[in-house]
Amino acid sequence: MVPSTRKARSVWLAVLGVSLLFSVVVAIAFGAVPVRADQIAGAVLRGMSGRASGATDAVIWDLRLPRVLLAALVGASLSTAGVLYQALFRNPLADPYILGVSSGAGLGATIALVTVGATAVGGVVGVPLGAFAGALLTIVLVVRLASGSGRVESTSLLLSGVAVSYTLAAVTSFLMVFKRQSMQAVVFWMMGGLEGATWSYVAILAAMLAVGMALPFVRARELDLMLLGDERAAQLGVDVERFKLLALGCASLVVAGAVSVSGLIGFVGLMTPHMVRLVLGPEHRTLLPASALAGAIVMVLSDLVARVVLAPVEIPVGIVTALAGGPFFVWLLVRQERV
Amino acid sequence: MRPARAQSPLLAFRDVSIGYGTRTVLRDVTFSVKSGELVGLVGPNGAGKSTLLRAVSGSADILDGSVTVAGVPSASLTPRERARLVGVVPQSPPIAFAFRAREFVAMGRNPHLGRLQDLTTQDAAIVDEVMELTDTARLADQTVDTLSGGDLQRLTVAQALAQRPQVLLLDEATAHLDINHALQVLELVRSLSDDGLAVLGVFHDLDLAARYSDRISVVASGAVTAPAPPRDALDASVLSEVFDVRAVVRTEPATGAVTVVPIVRGADIAASVRGPVGLVCGSGSGATMLRRLALLGVQVCCGALNQGDVDHAVALALGASVVELPPFGDVDVTAETKVRAAYSRAAAVVVTSTPFGRANVGNLRAAVEAGVPLVLVGKMSADRDYAAGEATALWERAVERGALRVGDEEEAMSAVLGIIDGQESVDG
Repeated sequence: MVPSTRKARSVWLAVLGVSLLFSVVVAIAFGAVPVRADQIAGAVLRGMSGRASGATDAVIWDLRLPRVLLAALVGASLSTAGVLYQALFRNPLADPYILGVSSGAGLGATIALVTVGATAVGGVVGVPLGAFAGALLTIVLVVRLASGSGRVESTSLLLSGVAVSYTLAAVTSFLMVFKRQSMQAVVFWMMGGLEGATWSYVAILAAMLAVGMALPFVRARELDLMLLGDERAAQLGVDVERFKLLALGCASLVVAGAVSVSGLIGFVGLMTPHMVRLVLGPEHRTLLPASALAGAIVMVLSDLVARVVLAPVEIPVGIVTALAGGPFFVWLLVRQERV
Repeated sequence: MRPARAQSPLLAFRDVSIGYGTRTVLRDVTFSVKSGELVGLVGPNGAGKSTLLRAVSGSADILDGSVTVAGVPSASLTPRERARLVGVVPQSPPIAFAFRAREFVAMGRNPHLGRLQDLTTQDAAIVDEVMELTDTARLADQTVDTLSGGDLQRLTVAQALAQRPQVLLLDEATAHLDINHALQVLELVRSLSDDGLAVLGVFHDLDLAARYSDRISVVASGAVTAPAPPRDALDASVLSEVFDVRAVVRTEPATGAVTVVPIVRGADIAASVRGPVGLVCGSGSGATMLRRLALLGVQVCCGALNQGDVDHAVALALGASVVELPPFGDVDVTAETKVRAAYSRAAAVVVTSTPFGRANVGNLRAAVEAGVPLVLVGKMSADRDYAAGEATALWERAVERGALRVGDEEEAMSAVLGIIDGQESVDG
């Protein structure tokens, strides 16, 4: 049952935080070269002070840690976006992947990559910026398409999301092939993967997530009110149009960040907020941070599975999340129709 | 902590046109609601009652003129400022998210709280108070997605009251409630209004509107009438024009409020005009026949009836002709002459199962002396004749002259229609 006191919710947040830390350590420990917890601690300490040395330190500090942290950040970003979309559309089936926003961000990123991506500044700033523009334009397009008759119906939202998603993903793949990237890169992008993790990716995504989470968190009560419908939210004092713009902007920002570094990873943004809501209730002041933590855990563990299940071959992490998330989505759909 | 009774209205419309975008729904709306006043809005579906409320809550566009809330132009209010002045109770749709009832009610405090600010003890006290008032305190820990429509509606009332508004808008707020909870909510609103709240409420139910409103406005055909006391606003002719319903409007002795009894839809009345048929009735003995004849387009003249008599009210609602008597007045010579004249023009006169006394035996005499075919319903007996045998004598005279005797109203109807049809074919 939903815990009623703020204290109980704090306990849940602490539990999730500790679980994330544990998942991170486990994920770093596993791999082609197994490492021990004390080696991890040592490498992290030396790495932070810039004195990393030796092969084990290099594996941990240069390869595993950025990858695991990136996984955590991607998971937190996708979950945060899921929470925001689900609140704005009052639809538990909404998530960045299903709404086509991920594909839009991907296309934006790809266009930036093939135009300005070769320059140093273009690669670091242009790609996330392109992804952000792509994400924002896509959600506006999808909502427009879905609201032909005035109200945004659940079914039409999902249908237009899927249609836009496929179209944009196809354009992106075409551009990648056209620019003579290997088919393998295309597949990895379509399926989502974290194999390209670097510390600069971690830094960029952390910054985007910080902004994209802080603004909605400060206005968590207004997100609660949005669940009562646009008109009721306005009657209770929410400046609905402005707030939607802000929340959609934040969601697009975190999706753009996640997609820029990891391609199209589905269902994390759908599953985690939903499960967290079942346990902790719909209040966003708890839901937002708890979903971010849970999404991070899910992603870190999914990436671990992706790395080790066919080791030394890596499978795209999107396959892992889709295998778990697809059936979950169907379950949600069936459950919603029964209501 | 109630808003002080102000002389100036808390809510004022001046020459307002309301709509959405470029589409105008209502024009030239001018009226106001004062502190302590409850104004009801009635009108057909789709007439724009909710749109009128939306002009105050900010969801419809004010295309022309001005709406002021507590003296402030509505257009200049931010959503937050507006939510501190205006509370709305909509028909709540079911909520799919598992908020606890108390959290749900506390959302009403939103316009008073800063971002990230928790409920203060004062806020919490207000939430407790409004939940107590709406009889929802016992639901506090339940989740709203599992509650019945009635419970959810009362929580929505609590949520609106938690805003501590000066103006309360009700949008068919009791439509989903059973009669007990509907009365509970309206009694509560009425008492809050008496304490100084200005209330503007859309009512679906005309009787509830009449019972709880100080004044009523009728919204129809893009216009809003000036608020008037229920008795004047819900006039039978207004109801006929606005709802196309022929209704009896009277004061219900049990509540002291105006009550509306719909008789027939105007559209159901046959277009052809037939008859006329005379009816000797009173005290409700003629009401159902009046209704059935009206539906068939048959003109009816009812003889002399007292003001306040049920048949009198029904006859007026259906446009039948009546010789009007004061309450408890007798059918005197003057009235009887008029009735006889009316009956003599009828195709037939039906004597319903009404009892006769000295006061109304004049109607029976007029019928017998009118010289047209008579249809007598039932039998004459001592418990129908309180006119010292005069009614019995008239009855026997009619029978001797060949009056048709029928057992009940059903037979009377077919007899009358047979007479009319026979005459029509002869005339043709």
